[in-house]
Amino acid sequence: MRMPSGIKEDKGGKWSSDLVLDLYSNLLMEIWEVVSALIGEAILALLFNLSVRKLGEKYAFLNSLKVSEEGISLEGMREDCRNIAPIEIHRGFQSLISHLSHLFSALAEGVINKELFPKVFPKVREAERIISQK
Amino acid sequence: MLRSTLNAIGMSFELKEIVESAGTNLPNLFDFSSFGVLWKEGLLLYLYQEESCPPSFTQEVVKNMATVFSMLGEETISVDRVALQVEKRKLRPKQMMIEPKATLKSHLTLPLTIEGEIIGCISLNSDQPNAFDAQDLQFLSVIGYQMAASLKHFQRFSSIKNIAIYDTLTNLYNRRYFDERLEVEAQKSFFSDTSLSLVMVDIDHFKRVNDTFGHTEGDKVLCEIASLLKASVRKKDTVARYGGEEFILILPEAGLEESSMISERIRRLVESTPFEVGQARINLTVSLGISNFPSHHARTKEELVKMADSALYDAKRGGRNRVSIFNEPKGG
Repeated sequence: MRMPSGIKEDKGGKWSSDLVLDLYSNLLMEIWEVVSALIGEAILALLFNLSVRKLGEKYAFLNSLKVSEEGISLEGMREDCRNIAPIEIHRGFQSLISHLSHLFSALAEGVINKELFPKVFPKVREAERIISQK
Repeated sequence: MLRSTLNAIGMSFELKEIVESAGTNLPNLFDFSSFGVLWKEGLLLYLYQEESCPPSFTQEVVKNMATVFSMLGEETISVDRVALQVEKRKLRPKQMMIEPKATLKSHLTLPLTIEGEIIGCISLNSDQPNAFDAQDLQFLSVIGYQMAASLKHFQRFSSIKNIAIYDTLTNLYNRRYFDERLEVEAQKSFFSDTSLSLVMVDIDHFKRVNDTFGHTEGDKVLCEIASLLKASVRKKDTVARYGGEEFILILPEAGLEESSMISERIRRLVESTPFEVGQARINLTVSLGISNFPSHHARTKEELVKMADSALYDAKRGGRNRVSIFNEPKGG
């Protein structure tokens, strides 16, 4: 089978896009855990969905993100993301996190981001590292 | 403290009461300058704030809440559209009063949501930098959830209440509300021997309007007449739709002279108003019948209504476009 350009399969048989999704799945769950404890699941789900609506036109795969008061699921994205370059997935999620951070700032100034940054920032850097590997 | 705050909010039913319950209890939980609730319906913004807050601070709070609400919603809300109500309270001791040039230095603003729908937002504001922390945010979010639930109940109650008492076409009170209102006013009047007038109003030859122009145009006429009636009465009076083209007014503490004056005003207003019906412009008139306690010796509210109806009949028989006072048979 001919692979789409830019998509690599690692030695374990997993697509790079899956690796990026795994990384961001953990990251988003981390965000969910920290922020839902501060503002509640309902408001957080609303903010996630607002962000997805805003960014979904540019990064269509984000529309497959399932967010509800129960939490976040990226499972519906995996198939869609197989044909998307990992760098594109990375940019999409980066934009999502950046937009969420902007919303958190508008609502509560530094209060939420102060709790988030120590946990989220290292993982974002990890994602950049993975993407930059060729 | 948090639990008693939540209980107070949960037991409140009117919008202002909900905000006041929260505002009264919040100083026990937070150190703030101003607490605001913006409600989507009518863009009502209630601010509960320290009395020394300067107007410039208030404006900043309003602007910030409008900005956040716009960001969360589909449209940009201009500050001019916000209907502001401010409750000033002494929240701080004299030595900690807010400076006249104080500005908004920190805030926590959260959406009020019910079942995924944003119904407003809630905000804590301070003239001090970094005034709020993670625990404040947690408490505010819990309070916000309770407040959203109370506001939703208030919204549902208002809708039900409106359906129960208003006529859907004319927005006047409906027959059901009229009966309840008359019960109250009649009791007051009969027991305290104070005056009470009823005026029954009927549009002359209304059937012709419907037959000539259709019921849709006829409905428009009813709405216009309803507006004229509302504009002609005093604040304490009740205007209700009694039947198809019949209306009835309850005029508490109005004697025969005053009720005749009000009725004549209505008659002249309708007579002089051109009504746009279809492509035509027509003139209409109304007939009015007045009854009064104690001038007419009604012993029950039903009798008072019958008297007004009888007076209306006399007005019709007398040629229409007139005001008729109930003619009590001698010895009655």
